[in-house]
Amino acid sequence: MMHRIRLGVAGRTIAVLVVLGLAIFPVYWMFVTALSSDEELFSSSSVNILPNFSRFGVFAAALADGQVVTWLLNSLIVAAGTTVLSIGLGIPLGYALSRFTFRGKAAVGLALLFTQMLPEALLVVPLFAMFRRFDLLNSLHGLILADTAFALPVVSLILKGAIDGVPRDLDEAARVDGSRPPTVLARIILPLIAPAIAAAAVIAFFSAWNEYVFAVTFVFDKPLQPASVGVAGFIGEQDTSIQSIMAVGLLFTLPAVAFYLFAQRYVVSGMTAGAVKG
Amino acid sequence: MVFQLVPLLQEVWLSFTKTTLLNPNLNVWVGMANFQSVLANPSFRQTLLTTVIYVAACVVGSVGLGLLVALLLNGRFPGRAVARSLVTVPWAAPGIAVALIATWMFNPQFGILTRTLRGMGIDPGPNGVLNNPQLALGAILVTTIWQLVPFVAVVLLSALQGVPQELVEAAQVDGAGRWMTFRVVTWQVLKPTIGLVAVLMTIWSLRRFELIWLMTRGGPLGSTRTLVIDLYAQAFESKQLGTAAAIGMVGVVIAMIVIIGGRLVANAAAKEA
Repeated sequence: MMHRIRLGVAGRTIAVLVVLGLAIFPVYWMFVTALSSDEELFSSSSVNILPNFSRFGVFAAALADGQVVTWLLNSLIVAAGTTVLSIGLGIPLGYALSRFTFRGKAAVGLALLFTQMLPEALLVVPLFAMFRRFDLLNSLHGLILADTAFALPVVSLILKGAIDGVPRDLDEAARVDGSRPPTVLARIILPLIAPAIAAAAVIAFFSAWNEYVFAVTFVFDKPLQPASVGVAGFIGEQDTSIQSIMAVGLLFTLPAVAFYLFAQRYVVSGMTAGAVKG
Repeated sequence: MVFQLVPLLQEVWLSFTKTTLLNPNLNVWVGMANFQSVLANPSFRQTLLTTVIYVAACVVGSVGLGLLVALLLNGRFPGRAVARSLVTVPWAAPGIAVALIATWMFNPQFGILTRTLRGMGIDPGPNGVLNNPQLALGAILVTTIWQLVPFVAVVLLSALQGVPQELVEAAQVDGAGRWMTFRVVTWQVLKPTIGLVAVLMTIWSLRRFELIWLMTRGGPLGSTRTLVIDLYAQAFESKQLGTAAAIGMVGVVIAMIVIIGGRLVANAAAKEA
């Protein structure tokens, strides 16, 4: 019997429900708020705690707003681009770190760990100067580069950890049979580390979908802004109705949460295997 | 690499110059002047204190509550798999969305948390919790910890799966009570993971930006101004890149101390075990 808090089944169930309630309540509250009428929101006497499904049209209205769709599409482009780029670079990097000895290998590994602790807010200043020089400001591909710079260390550490777990005998046997490293990587190793790639991809996608500092600093034109900047712009906003603000917030939140819950098994194993050690 | 290490070196260089955002070519070398002015500024000491309080509370709160949640979810109860998934929702929710809903829940007139506080007899004042210098940091802490607990819980839950059952049973056969069993068996297995998570939480809360920036911008009266908020405000509001870079260097030094300290503690714990 593993150690756990001493409670009867009923007590434990109640405690779990309380914890779940606390975990989910704010997201639920976005939903309830989006579906409330003005009277329900701004009445001083009572609080409406159940969603009013007859007002579901608020979501359709939010999606009918072209700007909201543009934000979400921009986020999708940036997150997908970041995922592809960081996996594409992270696989060879992780493979090299796991299988080859080369000059400065220890330094590369240390640098990867070190960059994990740098705050975005610290690098945003020199990156801004650098992007201005290379004309990368105000563009989605510039944002993809910046987000990749932050996703790549985690991604390559996760992939290195996964490749470390593949027995060397397997690829050495293939090498003896005359296969070159790229073939070994593609034929032998990649299929075996598919779950780790999935984990790394989800983490890269998330970090770019949720990223705010670079997005708000490097992109000025409204049509190019991703949803994180768009949604953040609503905070403290007086002119837009709180219902549509919450509807847009939910449209931004739900894909991330749904995607995460779907891929959770891989994310958790990936994070504990690779990133946590950083 | 290019996008992290080159900027970092540039940041070091910037911290010794008087560069502004509007005139980036004016990199006049000023030596230690930025550091002197930053360190001599009493409001910077307030920023450091706020950062320490924020980070310490985040680490203690998220690790403590995360451990409780992990132990709770480790037991047997109906719907366990679903509960284990759903409990991670805060961690999956984007920080921006969290700032958005938290700001609404703390709304001075209509926020449900403001109403709850009033119901409990705590009046945050007419401008609400986020504009109250005594309460704003607490509100930010509650929000941050809410978001961090699921991650800690999930990692500790997977560490709990590694607790050898034989040892637990042996301890119980030897007459150890629940608490004693926890201390001699479970805690020993969890210790390295807890150390790891604590270091990670320290780094994450040192880095934490968007939640604080969007909820309070470091206000009211600088009561929620942590290092990264100060840094960003100096760079993009006061447009003093040199000063911002100097603040950043202080942050990097603190982070390095945490990392190296964390490693030493982890190594010492590994040797002891």
